[in-house]
Amino acid sequence: MQSLERALGRERVISTPDELIAYEFDATIERGMPQAVVFPESTEQVAAAVRVAHRAGVPVIPRGAGTGLSGGAVAAAGGVVVALTRMKRVLKIDVVDRVAVVEPGVVNIDLSRAAAPYGLYYAPDPSSQRACTIGGNVAENAGGPHCLAMGTTTNHVLGLELVLADGEVIEVGGHSRDVAGYDLTGAFVGSEGTLAIATKIIVRLSRIPEATRTLLAIFDQIDDASGAVSAIIAAGMVPSALEMMDRNIIRAVEPVLRCGYPLDAEAVLLIEVDGLEEDTVEQAEAIDAICRRHGAREVRLAREAADRELLWAGRKSSISALGRLYPNYYVLDGVVPRTRLPDVLRQVYAVAGRYGLAVANVFHAGDGNLHPNLLFDEREPGVTAKVLDAGAEIMRLCVDAGGSITGEHGVGVEKRDFMAWLFSGDDLYAMSRLKTAFKAGEDFNPCKAFPTHAGCGEVTQAQVRRTAAAIGPDLYV
Amino acid sequence: MSEAVTAHRVDEFVAAISQPDAPAVFRDGLAAYAVDGLLPEVAVTVTHTDHVRLNLSEAQKHGLAVIPFGGGTHSGLGNVPTAYDIALSTVGLDRIIAHEPADMTVTVEAGVPLATLQAVLAHHGQFLPLDPPGGGGATVGGVLAANAQGALRHAFGTARDWLIGVKVVQADGTLVKSGGRVVKNVAGYDMGKLYVGSLGSLGVIVEATFKLAPLPAAVAAIGVTCPSPHAAAMLLFAAHDAGLALHAAELLSPAAGRAVLGDARWSALVRVAGRARAVERTLRELREIAGGLRATYDLRDPAQTARAWDDAFAPGALSLRVSVLPRSVAGAIEEMEAALGGAAALLSSTLGAGLIRARVRPESDAEAGMLVGAVRDIAQRHDGALVVEAAAPAVKRAIDVFGPARPDFAIMRRLKQALDPSRTLAPGRFAGGL
Repeated sequence: MQSLERALGRERVISTPDELIAYEFDATIERGMPQAVVFPESTEQVAAAVRVAHRAGVPVIPRGAGTGLSGGAVAAAGGVVVALTRMKRVLKIDVVDRVAVVEPGVVNIDLSRAAAPYGLYYAPDPSSQRACTIGGNVAENAGGPHCLAMGTTTNHVLGLELVLADGEVIEVGGHSRDVAGYDLTGAFVGSEGTLAIATKIIVRLSRIPEATRTLLAIFDQIDDASGAVSAIIAAGMVPSALEMMDRNIIRAVEPVLRCGYPLDAEAVLLIEVDGLEEDTVEQAEAIDAICRRHGAREVRLAREAADRELLWAGRKSSISALGRLYPNYYVLDGVVPRTRLPDVLRQVYAVAGRYGLAVANVFHAGDGNLHPNLLFDEREPGVTAKVLDAGAEIMRLCVDAGGSITGEHGVGVEKRDFMAWLFSGDDLYAMSRLKTAFKAGEDFNPCKAFPTHAGCGEVTQAQVRRTAAAIGPDLYV
Repeated sequence: MSEAVTAHRVDEFVAAISQPDAPAVFRDGLAAYAVDGLLPEVAVTVTHTDHVRLNLSEAQKHGLAVIPFGGGTHSGLGNVPTAYDIALSTVGLDRIIAHEPADMTVTVEAGVPLATLQAVLAHHGQFLPLDPPGGGGATVGGVLAANAQGALRHAFGTARDWLIGVKVVQADGTLVKSGGRVVKNVAGYDMGKLYVGSLGSLGVIVEATFKLAPLPAAVAAIGVTCPSPHAAAMLLFAAHDAGLALHAAELLSPAAGRAVLGDARWSALVRVAGRARAVERTLRELREIAGGLRATYDLRDPAQTARAWDDAFAPGALSLRVSVLPRSVAGAIEEMEAALGGAAALLSSTLGAGLIRARVRPESDAEAGMLVGAVRDIAQRHDGALVVEAAAPAVKRAIDVFGPARPDFAIMRRLKQALDPSRTLAPGRFAGGL
């Protein structure tokens, strides 16, 4: 502790239980108490903190805004949390080359705001974009509604300055994709803070499209909505966003936000196309026709920007609105091939039904990325265990349908024991060799992303079940 | 290692892999597998992933060096190997494993020719937006290993942006995968990124899954001849800034202009693609921009110009690739033209990516070496880098074709050491002699 204060200054270190409590969890059910949290303001200070922890053999846990949905920023085995929220400068916006250089603590939407005067924006837009940081986005390879056409974080990161586990500072990638050697930038994005800490991030900026058209298609059958999704993709269109919300989401959102989702609908699709004016007109017409052909009872086109924002407001606050229906909700993140959506959705409802749980689905239908939210009241005895079991079954459904256990939230602490459903021991061992290359030992953000090993006992699923019962209503996401 | 010892090990290797249902081993016709003038002792052709596993585990056991071989179209890339005993041809891994058009994904074995794959996808109105020049005979695995790319880079990026899952056989014969078959997936480290462009130095790619793009409804091509590279760059920047429907946007040197457009001036070659109305508008606006620049606008046959560009920039005796920031392209390409002009050089830049290709016909190795040095200096002056994509072995031996080692080379060296400690896979070929 004293070494940390010596290295960074007392004002950049906290270590009393009262102060630490806010850093015990992120946006998940997982918890873990760190011994200290440091708030470096420069690469040198990050390196100094990491060196101190490395010498003391104490775990290091990088942390952005703590909005993560898989426990990636939780001090699962104690240690020093390196909070990067004070490193929040946009260092450079290069308009001609469409590149920005940012510190890791820059909030996602602040980068787009800084680029907006030049007609540019940063494309990945996770739903938490008003709070989450670019550094956290890089760690998780964050997605968002608009990654259907624009790709996820990995498609937009060009280079990084990294602090390795032993405090060495190294640059990977650069201002262009064409840097000789292995694509270490690509391998780092999505590594869930287990390889190094990014202290500078070079990202690609995109041009704000000339025209945007947003449609709301309303369905009386959820299967019809799924069918429309497949048909749009099969017709050779890649909308910029293609989102689905089911009746439980609609019932949670509409009474509060009044965004025009009919309360008696089984599902709505929120579809956006952007690009050249001519293109968006044609695509919107084609999508309208496809939806109607697939049983949409109504398709609305948002005429004004305000209408569009209202439609999106419903989507973006849909998960938090679930609090209206039940005291607690648990958001899952699974992926299936788009053609399997109708079938898997039916099974998701069936699993929830079997456990006696309500479920609300709001998700990125265009790329098959499901977010079932299990709704419950944790005061009901034994319900938390049921929720976790049902969640695991739903993840298993996704895997069995040829999909994945996470599309954008990461594996983190939450799902590391499901990794064996997707990967063999050989696959996982090969991945672990990347840690060797980055010199990231077991003390570097331990207990994340890969199946449990010794020392992570405190946060096993069994423990999650026990602690879950003790956690207040608002801590579930 | 003496030749006799190597020959003995090769014999032992051949005996070991000669099992029922085994890979086929050849000791003749090896010229087809030459890399930088070096011939392997044997060539092995495989039709099954298990063959690749057997081949690699036995090669490693016998201390032999393996170079995976696809269509051979980009085999000029890389440093001269330090050892080459076995050519492992993957062209027999030629199955298209799964194509679900409505999912817009495809899973293929590594030996499937890119052209074959594109034909199958086109039937469903889709394509994999990778178009390496000279890549007609390239295999999917080869395109990935070489990170081969063409003019579509402008709109679609590179293989890393389309690969969503990959299976690889490691040096010890272990089959490993990363990613999967869904378009969005963050489970596990994204190892696929490492194999793209790795020249087989980390593992032999045996299967790949890609996301796909819809084929555009309408395509047009235009050539715009400009008074200078700066004018051509202005045109391309303006088109890019206007968000016009461009699939490719290349800046051509006068010699490249002659070869591709039949007009020996600086020019821009633009492929316009999308829905009919967007294409119409793009053509109209490009004409207006060209008028403002006193450039000559000329509608072209898209298929014919694409073929001509492909022919012009297929890997040649000396192929160079310079990477700079987009803003530096006009200056850098003008200097390259001056430095290379005497050697019948063709230059083409994917402006938005800051990438400049040069195909050069030097008279001698000495001249080639000099030209490489001159272009490297130009690249460095513009804060860029040069990769020599093809050159005579004598030219390559004097340099690292990937340029000087970068600060992150230590991580790369440890990665190679971790994944191929016995240096079985393409030893010496990758950056820094990995």
